[in-house]
Amino acid sequence: MDDQGCPRCKTTKYRNPSLKLMVNVCGHTLCENCVEMLFVRGSGNCVQCDTPLRKSNFRVQLFEDPTVDKEVEIRKKVLKIYNKRDFDFASLREYNDYLEQVEDIVYNLTNNTDVENTKQRMEQYQRENRDVIQRNKAKLTREQEELEELLLLEQQGNEQRRLEVLQEEQRQLQAKRKNKQALLDELEQSHVPAAILLAKHKVRAAQLETQIEQQKQTVKPASLFSTGIHMNQTVSLQPLPRIEEVLYQYKPLQVETYGPPVPELEQLSRLGYLNHVRAAMPQDTAGGYTSALACHRAIQDAFSGLFPQRG
Amino acid sequence: VIELNTVHFETLLYDINSLCVCVSPSSCVVCVQGHGVLEMPSGTGKTISLLSLIVAYQRAFPLEVTKLIYCSRTVPEIEKVVEELRKLMEFYSKETGETNNFLALALSSRKNLCIHPEVSSLRFGKEVDGKCHSLTASYIRAQRHSNPNQPVCRFYEEFDAVGRQVPLPAGIYNLDDLKDFGRRKGWCPYYLARYAILHANIVVYSYHYLLDPKIADLVSKELAKKSVVVFDEAHNIDNVCIDSMSVNITRRTLDRCQNNVDTLQNTIQKIKETDAAKLREEYRRLVDGLKEASVARETDIYLSNPVLPDEILQEAVPGTIRTAEHFVGFLRRFLEYLKSRLRVQHVVQESTPQFLKDIFDKVCIDRKPLRFCAERLQSLLRTLEIADIADFSAVTLISNFATLVSTYSQGFTIIIEPFEDRTPTIANPVLHFSCMDPSIAIKPVFQRFQSVVITSGTLSPLDIYPRILDFRPVTMASFTMTLARTCLCPLIVGRGNDQVALSSKFETREDFAVIRNYGNLLLEMSAVVPDGIVAFFTSYVYMENIVASWYEQGILENIQRNKLIFIETQDAAETSMALEKYQEACENGRGAILLSVARGKVSEGIDFVHHFGRAVIMFGVPYVYTQSRILKARLEYLRDQFQIRENDFLTFDAMRHAAQCVGRAIRGKTDYGLMIFADKRYARADKRGKLPRWIQEHITDGSLNLTVDETVQLSKHFLRQMAQPFRQEDQLGLSLLTLEQLQSEEMLKKITQIAHQT
Repeated sequence: MDDQGCPRCKTTKYRNPSLKLMVNVCGHTLCENCVEMLFVRGSGNCVQCDTPLRKSNFRVQLFEDPTVDKEVEIRKKVLKIYNKRDFDFASLREYNDYLEQVEDIVYNLTNNTDVENTKQRMEQYQRENRDVIQRNKAKLTREQEELEELLLLEQQGNEQRRLEVLQEEQRQLQAKRKNKQALLDELEQSHVPAAILLAKHKVRAAQLETQIEQQKQTVKPASLFSTGIHMNQTVSLQPLPRIEEVLYQYKPLQVETYGPPVPELEQLSRLGYLNHVRAAMPQDTAGGYTSALACHRAIQDAFSGLFPQRG
Repeated sequence: VIELNTVHFETLLYDINSLCVCVSPSSCVVCVQGHGVLEMPSGTGKTISLLSLIVAYQRAFPLEVTKLIYCSRTVPEIEKVVEELRKLMEFYSKETGETNNFLALALSSRKNLCIHPEVSSLRFGKEVDGKCHSLTASYIRAQRHSNPNQPVCRFYEEFDAVGRQVPLPAGIYNLDDLKDFGRRKGWCPYYLARYAILHANIVVYSYHYLLDPKIADLVSKELAKKSVVVFDEAHNIDNVCIDSMSVNITRRTLDRCQNNVDTLQNTIQKIKETDAAKLREEYRRLVDGLKEASVARETDIYLSNPVLPDEILQEAVPGTIRTAEHFVGFLRRFLEYLKSRLRVQHVVQESTPQFLKDIFDKVCIDRKPLRFCAERLQSLLRTLEIADIADFSAVTLISNFATLVSTYSQGFTIIIEPFEDRTPTIANPVLHFSCMDPSIAIKPVFQRFQSVVITSGTLSPLDIYPRILDFRPVTMASFTMTLARTCLCPLIVGRGNDQVALSSKFETREDFAVIRNYGNLLLEMSAVVPDGIVAFFTSYVYMENIVASWYEQGILENIQRNKLIFIETQDAAETSMALEKYQEACENGRGAILLSVARGKVSEGIDFVHHFGRAVIMFGVPYVYTQSRILKARLEYLRDQFQIRENDFLTFDAMRHAAQCVGRAIRGKTDYGLMIFADKRYARADKRGKLPRWIQEHITDGSLNLTVDETVQLSKHFLRQMAQPFRQEDQLGLSLLTLEQLQSEEMLKKITQIAHQT
């Protein structure tokens, strides 16, 4: 790290520990002083590659390799445009292809290959997908959501633990104080010998200790809706893929009874079949029973299998 | 249960302790297919009894238990286990008169198994792996078809051609046997062993083959579910788990990684000009999302993925890192980001979600491509046909880190320290990606295998292991030794002769009175104890301070009149030299003192049998360095997730190391030794209660707070008693049984009683 230095004034980190290196979009380093000096007017050309640069675009170099700084810068810009999430795609494979495409663009821009074409592609994409980009701007990817959730849980856990410890301490203190006071009161008022009172007090104190040990409550943080969906989770807006298939068609069942045709249920009373059947009691009808039902079944039974089998 | 245990032993004498293991409820572990924790003092036949129990069960129900996987720590320990097993099998064949078709083998790294004349002469394991890979990788061998001059390993070729069809004949193989067999047949023993563990009945290897996700994926993936896994010497298993999942990144790693990335880029450029079809082929495969592992041959090991959920592995590699250039750019960005993080001026601690959010904000890296980083790198290295993978360890490490950090949101923490605590002026930035939850690494093992047994000489308190490893044991048992004579004598020295309290606690560290009294203790003991004494300090720094001050006070000189002094240092070669000379001095009767450090090399793997260690002195309580941020984070995690209080864990950790240290001296029932705990804090119930049962039961109330001269008195008495002749016959009926004694009704009752006590 110490051998890092400004390519222009040749100062190194070793000689000047407070040296601040800056990078611009082209990925070439300059130290802060040189930037001040060269870009007094706010813009100028890079010392190494002659790209026109603006002073305001200079950033502190975070990484040892300035190309990584440059790449991250480009990546952030590209990702602002290419911000589709995995739920915008029908299959994982398409998503992966898309990811690779993004990666290609970043790679091209970083390594200065085919820059013009790539930029055109980006612009075209931006025009075509304006609304998707707008919509996804505020959304996080699912993984990031998970992460956020974990972080939240962790924070809650820490906070809760801290509070618990605090509460616990206070409760203990209070209980002890109360206990002590009780002892004093008893000693003052009671007629029982002091030794017994003291012994009692001791037992009570021990009980208190064990009670304190046992008290441990767990409160679950409310990060779930009652449906089990996590709070502030975005649900995919992608329509479910339609499944094309032949619809089911109902066909009435034809049963061969090998007997004379059985009269319909509704006609039984008209044909006089019910005349000799016990009428349904009012309590029977509560469950939907009618005498016609039983009668119909009995007739079905009686009529079936009367003819010898044909063929 | 009992009739299962028709246990055969190599001698006709039965060790009462071993029998207890077999009879006790702990044997249910094997039967009911659950997990267990077992504590049993070393030297009482823990290994042999477990082996015989499981082998007996295996023979009785070959369909229930198909395989025994015995994991140990070091190569000598692995060899020991195989020897025990050999004895057992010999006894079996002698008793039953039939040759059994058991296949048992040990597996170790290439370094220990290679027989290739050039490769095996290399010194470091990494070099051997790299060289071996450059001779056996699938594409190298493919190149040989077109170019016969391409060097390959003839042993591997031979094995590949013939070895797979012919199974390894039944028998017991240790590492040397495997090598001999390989030489005779001209087959590579390493690949032979790796292939053979699939159908072997018993496999003995190191922890890492099961626990380290990077290796386990390669070696132990296809082991049958119906296996019994035994972790021996497992008192440190949580640390092994944690180490296998943690990553430390220094400035040097990043620099090496930078070089690797540059090499990658150049190679890609070159390949693009000469053989663009290859890259296109890889690209096509990635688009289709074929899982790489199915393509990979067994020789193509680029350290494999850290444990990934399967659904991710099935998914296609994300589009952002699909082409080789984009991936290299991605690596470059990630690397630069890490570099910028390492440039911090103050300590940073953050959780993995925070890290991921920050990395997205800074360099626009999403979580998903990070998760695929390790996988993608493997594929790239394979496509580029880079032969020597040893060079690429840095970039592999980084990509593993990327995958881990994006996969696990809990149980890990990231700590960036700009300098070491001791040297705040020297910039030495380190990024610790530290795993705090040992259960993450060991979970697959518990889920996969039907029974897992964790065992060691020192596992007390037993209930803490299931908690920190997050499993539900069927049995937990702590056995004690049944002894014919009390051969261990634990003493707690709390005061010096001048009544100054002895303690290594922080406030009295620099206290001259304490140091002098410690010196006095060692001096007096060196006068009464014959042969070897091993003294343990709590840390290297503490040892240096004390020894320096002893030198000034002339204590060292006085000690040297009695015995020679050897010191363990942080340098491994120096230490092994000191150890060798120490043993020589003990051997020829001069007697010696070894000053070493708890948690050091000596305290873990080295036994001091018989005259090599007649007394062990533990100066102070070996607490771990509590100011370390990694430890603090872990303690916090333990408190929040497992409700284990900080102090409980620290004491537990200190006591298991103390027990491990003093346990070095007793390695069998005929052995004897003094165990001196020189710190008054050991007398407290909370510390004492965490010692293993077999030590605890010999600590009497009278030996809790002794002064130095009382200690000397007691030791003299003990040593004189122990020095009386002691023959095997004396043990008969008490701790050793003949067959007749064993079959007597009364004895059986006694054994079951002891077993069920635990």
